[in-house]
Amino acid sequence: MASVVLNEVRKTYAGGFEAVKGVSFTVSDGGLCVLVGPSGCGKSTLLRMVAGLETVSSGDIRIGERRVNDLEPMARDIAMVFQNYALYPHMSVFDNMAYGLRNRGTPKPEIEKRVKEAARILELDALLERKPRQLSGGQRQRVAMGRAIVRKPAAFLFDEPLSNLDAKLRVQMRIEIRKLQRELKTTSIYVTHDQLEAMTLADRLVVMNGGHMEQVGTALDVFQNPASVFVAGFIGSPPMNFLAGEVDTQGRLRLPDGAFLAFDPKRGEAQVGRKVLAGLRPENVALRNGVEDGAAPRFRLELVEELGMGRLVHGKVGERPFTVAQGASDPPPSGYSLSIGIEPALVHLFDAASGLSLTSAAPRR
Amino acid sequence: MHEVSRALALALGLIGRGDQEFLSIVRLSLGVSLTATLAALVIGAPLGVALAISRFRGRAGLILTSNALLGLPPVVVGLCVYLALSRSGPLGKFGLLFTPAAMVVAQLILLTPIVIALTHRMAAGLWGEYGGALMVDGASGPRSIAIILAIGRATMLTVFLAAFGRAISEVGAIIVVGGNIRGYTRTMTTAIALETSKGELALALALGMVLIALSFAVNAVAFLLARAWRK
Repeated sequence: MASVVLNEVRKTYAGGFEAVKGVSFTVSDGGLCVLVGPSGCGKSTLLRMVAGLETVSSGDIRIGERRVNDLEPMARDIAMVFQNYALYPHMSVFDNMAYGLRNRGTPKPEIEKRVKEAARILELDALLERKPRQLSGGQRQRVAMGRAIVRKPAAFLFDEPLSNLDAKLRVQMRIEIRKLQRELKTTSIYVTHDQLEAMTLADRLVVMNGGHMEQVGTALDVFQNPASVFVAGFIGSPPMNFLAGEVDTQGRLRLPDGAFLAFDPKRGEAQVGRKVLAGLRPENVALRNGVEDGAAPRFRLELVEELGMGRLVHGKVGERPFTVAQGASDPPPSGYSLSIGIEPALVHLFDAASGLSLTSAAPRR
Repeated sequence: MHEVSRALALALGLIGRGDQEFLSIVRLSLGVSLTATLAALVIGAPLGVALAISRFRGRAGLILTSNALLGLPPVVVGLCVYLALSRSGPLGKFGLLFTPAAMVVAQLILLTPIVIALTHRMAAGLWGEYGGALMVDGASGPRSIAIILAIGRATMLTVFLAAFGRAISEVGAIIVVGGNIRGYTRTMTTAIALETSKGELALALALGMVLIALSFAVNAVAFLLARAWRK
């Protein structure tokens, strides 16, 4: 096992397009780091650079003590689980799992032992003679995992391994991957665009956007202290609500329709007159009956989604879409004369121009 | 209509009688075309995959060339091979001109670009899907080529059929280098050309029907093989 260290890693393609713009982070020995971000943010490119499937334009990648920039994928001591699993369709499950070991000249009895051990852990014992097309999606995913673990690599790399599964299986496999990673204690980098998957799996979360690293930290820290509007909007489901306003002389946020929103002055550097975006998590907002001019922001109800364990109330505050997440025991909204309320300490503030947080001390890297 | 029914009767008669000359023409047609097709596959398929999975200077030029050679005129190929194999040519000492071997060489030159271009297209897609796994699994170049060909074997069957179809129906190159010698280098297509020029249209049409039936039979075998592989 080993730590993985990325230092100012960049990827520029021949046409001049910069896919990864100077990313630095460390995955500790045995830790699971999740790279999360929207499609095209550079997370898969970055993972493929760690694997050696893409060249590194500049910067350093270290696995353990070795700088691996110029090493072939085979020499990097990594194993990778691909989004499409990439199981060789003409080989049996056993041969798929054994193929990498055979190429490395591992003795036959050792191959047999490792494949059977991996098959036992992943409950694939009865499927070893089958071909990939004879397996379900979940079984194929487990074979792809098995192919990785038989190698006993220094690091696992996962490239959106659950995105081809249905929602129920995805949750199940997510838990299995986490349990397996904790059991094997193998340093892992996991790429996903699903923020929920990222939150539940990560020891350390790296949020990427447009080739940049927006924020790195524990999942809870990133959720509670988003460093930018992008992170705040991307992490959390339903996403954070944003209201534009200006800080008034009494240290409140004045919204365009004349309503006010109180925030904790101790939490940020919000000078009077500064144009800001207030971020309100849907689960932190309460709906109140009645509207008072010049007081709490007015909420125009549009739709209620019942989820069983609670409900999502969709509507608008001013011209901005706004969602409130209610628990099952909360009274459902009655009538259309509603306003919103929130604990001042739970209001996030972002600079309207730069999008950077004014209330979070979280580092951007 | 009269010509067609006469041709059909002639074709059935040739097959039914087991006409020795006719059968030797069929054997030679199949022999030359299958040999050339298999040789083109042996040479062209690994090259096609190698072009898809390797990155080197001049690769784009090679891909462009193999695609451009798809439309190689058979008569021109025949002429070039003729010049190379003629007594005064660089390969004249082997005495291959007007032999079935010369016909195989000419067809091989025609078919190899087809195999390279079609295999390259198939392999490029499969490399996108499996290339990363093969590299991480430590597969060498030759092993990667073998795996890609094994994964794409059903498509390779289509490549074989495309190349065989071109070979069995080809006349321009083999008539130049083979000479259409009765009982030695006469194939179905050169025989059809000869009978047509003699005005024996019914016989030419009969030979054409048998040629189509042969082509159909080879396709049917390939189809059954592909179905067996899918199971």
